[in-house]
Amino acid sequence: MNINLNKSGLSLLNALSNHSELIMQTYFSGSVNEAEHSPNIIQNLIDLKVLWRPESDVELRLRPSLRTLLEESLQDESNRQIDANIGNLLTTLTTQAEHYKEALAQQKYHESQAYLSDLTEHVYTLTETLSTNVRLLWSRISNEFGYVSSVDAKIRENELAQTQVTDMLNQLSMFHFDILSQLAGSHRELRHLLVITLQSAFATSTQELSLVQSKLLELLGRFREFKGRTRLLKGFMLHMEQKPDFTPVNYSSLSQVPNLFNHAACIIKGAAPDVYNVEHEFELTSLVDNLRSINRLWQGKKNRVVATALILEQETSIELNEDLLKDEVERYFCQVIDSGKNTRALDYFNQHNLDFDQEVWIYQVLGAFQGLPDSERDFFDIDLAGIEDEIYTGNFIIQDIELGLR
Amino acid sequence: MITEQGRVLELLLSGQFVCTTIDEDAFRYLQSSANRELVEQQLNVLNRHLSSAADGEVYFCSYSSIGEAERKVLATHFNDVSSHLLPLIEWLLLVQEAMGTDVPLTQGALIRLQEVQTVVEDTPAYAEQLGKISRYSMFGSKANELDSQLKLIFKRLVELGYLVRPNMDKQIYCATGKIDYLFDVLKFVDETENLSLSERAEDSISQPSLL
Repeated sequence: MNINLNKSGLSLLNALSNHSELIMQTYFSGSVNEAEHSPNIIQNLIDLKVLWRPESDVELRLRPSLRTLLEESLQDESNRQIDANIGNLLTTLTTQAEHYKEALAQQKYHESQAYLSDLTEHVYTLTETLSTNVRLLWSRISNEFGYVSSVDAKIRENELAQTQVTDMLNQLSMFHFDILSQLAGSHRELRHLLVITLQSAFATSTQELSLVQSKLLELLGRFREFKGRTRLLKGFMLHMEQKPDFTPVNYSSLSQVPNLFNHAACIIKGAAPDVYNVEHEFELTSLVDNLRSINRLWQGKKNRVVATALILEQETSIELNEDLLKDEVERYFCQVIDSGKNTRALDYFNQHNLDFDQEVWIYQVLGAFQGLPDSERDFFDIDLAGIEDEIYTGNFIIQDIELGLR
Repeated sequence: MITEQGRVLELLLSGQFVCTTIDEDAFRYLQSSANRELVEQQLNVLNRHLSSAADGEVYFCSYSSIGEAERKVLATHFNDVSSHLLPLIEWLLLVQEAMGTDVPLTQGALIRLQEVQTVVEDTPAYAEQLGKISRYSMFGSKANELDSQLKLIFKRLVELGYLVRPNMDKQIYCATGKIDYLFDVLKFVDETENLSLSERAEDSISQPSLL
């Protein structure tokens, strides 16, 4: 391990964490405001190759490599770069594989191990690059180039992405697995790295890229459609401004009505409740229960008249029976008044051969007497004839009534 | 219990434009050709036919043979559509510009009333335009306040089936397939009347650069 390298690496990382706010601010704003920070710090960062000044009279910026690191780690949408330099990486791989094979042949095992670890690093860098590039493209597709607002810009971004995909595919065609497998020969590690790992990465990325390509084309179509629609809307507005009285011909009067205007009328209306359906009883009663207030005023007079008439009918039929009894009692009272004599109710009952029950008759006479207004009752006097109950004291059984004038 | 087929039939016969926003299940049901066949058979009994518009994004119910009575219905329907065309297009452009996305409304697009309102309130030209739109007989607003004009327009559009409001507690609206149908109508009018609307818009955009 190189101690110097280790030390300066640690001091670089420490500087990054100590000045993280400055770095993130620079990442978002693009350049450093030198007035806000002490010159020492800035000089330190420049020495560590975190910041740099592209030209003498411009502001300080983040080093591109650091920016790329941040973009990739943060999965920032604004990252639109695609590193498609696969050819270069492939040549490096071939060279290192040759080194490794040579070292093995000369039995320099330590050297060969170092070459192999370098080679592994490069292979994984290559696969990582491929998958990052594909992921970048997908993230752009999934938010439909949300980082630009106008449709025109989206179309341009889409075209850029398409050229990038084409580039990537061209680069991928530089993978020649026959050459790679020849290069790997019978070395197990080499074969694993150069053939198996690379091939699986190659297969997935070509597959994904073709999907990306079709998706991009589809999106492009959609954006064009949006543009077309906006143009239609604007065009129609302009047309209406020029010819305010424009109305389209009534297409429904054509002999062949265009399909678009052949829209049938609504024929379904809500069904009516069936109160005789037992299955619905629960729902219907719960509906009625939920009625907060029943306001019958608006129902009008008609309903109420019908309802009361029904009760009246019943009442008159009952009164008819009672009336006979009532009339007879009235006549009995009149006879008492006319004759001026005390008369027993049962005597009157027998004289006139009335066909009511005796008890009912006596009860009615008593009731009629009690029912008279006070002023009229004062004219009459009533005497109850009866016996005490034999067994239960306090019970008086009325057997007859004698009515007379006071 | 009503079957899926019955539900779809009911939707169609009640004059709805079936799309994924209105009823996703029904729309998916209609996407299978076997199911379409079944629905078609039942509609045929009622002199109706299953039609689609906007590249199969919207299904609706049409007449299979058109007699006098049907023609009358179609004429009123057409009058509605053509009288709604201008207010709707002005509204579509207003929303598109207010939302700043440059993307015309399509099925499934969400409109947050609050967002539109904020932008329109801040821009006198939009506010004026909104006032103009709200006074079309289609919306028939007499209000002077921007807030009530906007709410009325959205409410009316929900009634007419151009928008749905998925959550009654929130002022978020979702465009339905009827909007796409409207674009189809506009395209049709453009083609049949030889209006060449797109070219006209293109010309008006390129003119300022000539000056």
